[in-house]
Amino acid sequence: MAVPSDVLRGFCPSRSLSEESRRDVNAAAVSLNFRAGEVFFQQGDDFSPLYLVLTGHVKVFRQSGEKIQILAVMHSGGTFGAETLFAHTPCPITAQALTAGSAMMIPAEALMSLLERHPDFMMEFLELISQKLRQFTGLVHSLAFRDVPTRLAEVLLQQEWTETSSGITIPRILSQQDLAANVGTAREVIYRTLKKFEKDGLIQILPHEYVVLDAGRLVQLADKET
Amino acid sequence: MSTRLEDIQSVTALRHLSEDCQRSLAEVMVRRTFAPGEMIFIEGEQAMGIWFVLTGRVRILKLSTNGRSQALCIAHPGKCFGTCPLYSSENNPASAQALDVVNLLILPEDQTTALMQENPCLVKTLLYLYSERLGQLARLSECLATWTVAHRLNDCLLNYAVSDSPYPVVNLTHEKLAELAGTVREVASRHLEKLAEHGVVELHSGYLFLLQPNALQFQGFEVKHGGSK
Repeated sequence: MAVPSDVLRGFCPSRSLSEESRRDVNAAAVSLNFRAGEVFFQQGDDFSPLYLVLTGHVKVFRQSGEKIQILAVMHSGGTFGAETLFAHTPCPITAQALTAGSAMMIPAEALMSLLERHPDFMMEFLELISQKLRQFTGLVHSLAFRDVPTRLAEVLLQQEWTETSSGITIPRILSQQDLAANVGTAREVIYRTLKKFEKDGLIQILPHEYVVLDAGRLVQLADKET
Repeated sequence: MSTRLEDIQSVTALRHLSEDCQRSLAEVMVRRTFAPGEMIFIEGEQAMGIWFVLTGRVRILKLSTNGRSQALCIAHPGKCFGTCPLYSSENNPASAQALDVVNLLILPEDQTTALMQENPCLVKTLLYLYSERLGQLARLSECLATWTVAHRLNDCLLNYAVSDSPYPVVNLTHEKLAELAGTVREVASRHLEKLAEHGVVELHSGYLFLLQPNALQFQGFEVKHGGSK
């Protein structure tokens, strides 16, 4: 199946691939649809394919006993998987769909073969892994230095949002339990903090979305360190 | 030149590269020495390149605006650190500080792209090192968010212990251990004293012995601290 050029861009941050590499990456990528709740791969699996989200939302998380820490929520254009393909260590994370959607996938074996055959694609893949390193470094910083209101503001601002006549709206794709697992706290604390945000005039909580009433103050709060 | 080639061959991650590739590296890599406590680079500055540890230990840390610090990891000999600016100049996402006298090799930023294009095996080596670190950071994120302080401190002791006779030794001060575990020195000291009381560790100035490493793998030795951070 032909892969649209903007899809290829998702796998190749610098977009500088030779014609031959481009053709082979296209040929190796498989398109798929996923259902809400579907698990793509699990922490501890031997290896995982590389995925690019086209539509829908996917969470990647770590689990220890009953506790879950969400590391990232991927939207259209985000990639996940193949994080430790080269280290030959088990997958460090689990990836699960939050909503139904579609993705492109390069199976692990095909990915290894592409990387071996196309040094320019290997450079692109190194850039993808470097981006994830920067993202995870940022997450550690946030977990270590930021309190719950700041982390929650940060997580809300990381969600996909739309601008409508009533202001900036963030669909409630993450449940309060998911928000808690993302912020690193308990669900009750998330509930109380969201209510406080509403009382302070930062957001309005609607059944299916959050409306950002004061984006300036929410951004300011998300940058605060304790 | 021959010394430099030996230096490169002494780095575990670079040892298996072809000699041609090692020679190309020897031509452009620069050897640097830092004193204990000296900052190698600071978060936010433009990245200078990729660093490899020859001898000594380097602490990679994040600093908050009000001076708190959180260690991300300690880079031992053979490991690399520093960002990899491939397509645009990047700023350092964290800071690096020498823990001991350290000897390092730096692959300068302006040489990286050309060298990697000529030597795909070097890219593969970096992918290996970066993948490994990605796994560590994912684990650290979970550990900071969901583990208790006692659990995090025990984990750090196990991760940073090196084999020694008669017991494994952890060559870190209470303050450095606290940073690695994402807590403050007082809490770390209290926990370590409790472990010492139970005969799990033996405390010395600047280092400690793990008398019963297995005991740390259970969460039995938790000390109530009244807060998890």
